[in-house]
Amino acid sequence: MGKAFDITLVGDFIPQLIQYLGVTLQILAVSIVLGIIIGIIAAILRLFRIPILSQLVVVYVSFIRGTPILIQLFLIFYGIPSLFQLINIDLSKVDPLYSVIVAYAFNNGAVFSEIFRGAVQAVDYGQTEAAYSVGMSESQNFFRIIVPQAVGIAFPNIANTVISSLKDTSLAFTIGVMDMVGRGETLIASTTHALEVYISLSVIYYIVVVLLEKIFRWFEKRVNRHKSGEVSSV
Amino acid sequence: MVIDIPFIWTALKEIIKALPLTLMLTVIPLIVGFFIGLVVALIRVYEVKGLSAVADGYVSFLRGTPIIMHIMLIYFGLPMLLQAAAPKLAISSIPVSVFVLTALSLSAGAYLSEVIRSGIISIPKGQAEAAYSVGMSTFQMMVRIILPQALSQSIPNFTNIFIGFLHTTSIAFIVSEKELTGAAKIVASNNLKFLEAYIAAGIIYWVVTILVESISLLLEKKATSYARGGVR
Repeated sequence: MGKAFDITLVGDFIPQLIQYLGVTLQILAVSIVLGIIIGIIAAILRLFRIPILSQLVVVYVSFIRGTPILIQLFLIFYGIPSLFQLINIDLSKVDPLYSVIVAYAFNNGAVFSEIFRGAVQAVDYGQTEAAYSVGMSESQNFFRIIVPQAVGIAFPNIANTVISSLKDTSLAFTIGVMDMVGRGETLIASTTHALEVYISLSVIYYIVVVLLEKIFRWFEKRVNRHKSGEVSSV
Repeated sequence: MVIDIPFIWTALKEIIKALPLTLMLTVIPLIVGFFIGLVVALIRVYEVKGLSAVADGYVSFLRGTPIIMHIMLIYFGLPMLLQAAAPKLAISSIPVSVFVLTALSLSAGAYLSEVIRSGIISIPKGQAEAAYSVGMSTFQMMVRIILPQALSQSIPNFTNIFIGFLHTTSIAFIVSEKELTGAAKIVASNNLKFLEAYIAAGIIYWVVTILVESISLLLEKKATSYARGGVR
């Protein structure tokens, strides 16, 4: 356990750790944006039942939801360089940060694809019928009528996914990424005050999560202000 | 490096020996967590003075921080607390698994309490009123009327949490638990075939997850057959 437990060290560690909060948030932001793009493509493939690709999406989503995020991190970290070696591109010196972002992007992509698919299917079919009856094409219906309503339905789930993804990014340090937890590990190595470091990290994560929850709730109220009735009670 | 496909099978046979420990690390926290979660959910539903704030804080903190933090906090913090509370106890002889199970149980308790709470809230008030009107006590109402309906409706949520915790056990390898991911890492390091070992581990997790989802679907059909609409 090292030296005696010293709660005041938490006050010393928090500023040092917050310097790396930016890296953590950067990983989160990029992987969420990429994940949304992947998720939209995957959802559209399944919703419109494109022949082979929609089956591939089913397998992709099943794999991502069936394996731990840690295994996915390792697979991308060890697998992508192997794959690129087949076409003679050497990726062994690439910063693990990029592997991590790709892995989280694929993870989020699967989750988002299910959320979007569920949200689009939750929009009443009568909306589509009405759209066709006034002469809109399939894509006009989809983008002008369905998607705006689906976004409102999907929003609480998207918010939950962002927060859950933030907690997942805490695992990136296992492949050597110098994010907040990575900095925490180096602090532990230099001071052997592991408990205080983890308390500091937990406090930072908790505050960020609570802030995000508040922001999402405010955003949701704004987006749904034209609707009567309640917002989701999470 | 070309992918050594036959090695994936060798690795799989080696790694799957860690499956029992992994399942134990999943099931025990969920069982303990269920009881913790039930108590916490009831405290929150009935808004017991004093305890309710503690329960809210517990759930909020444990759902708002990564599970690896819980494992680390308990792993480093609990021995210190125990040492202070009971100096004569031989702390170093307590196996690591106990701390991992404690951390995961507390985590599971928070997530499960949310599931149970939302299940209880979703039961129409009429059920409780009807129970009171035939003379049941609150305890009888809870145990005989509300909870059976609440729990059977929540089976999909329970399944999601079960699968989530199955995957969370992979984090335990960081504190040297030899569960599936830990075994994969050992196989990988011994043979320097990282990708194949992790593919094998991934396959094992995937198959177990699909099995759990199928069983859950069957359970759900049986448990909610009373509430099915339609003509059969």
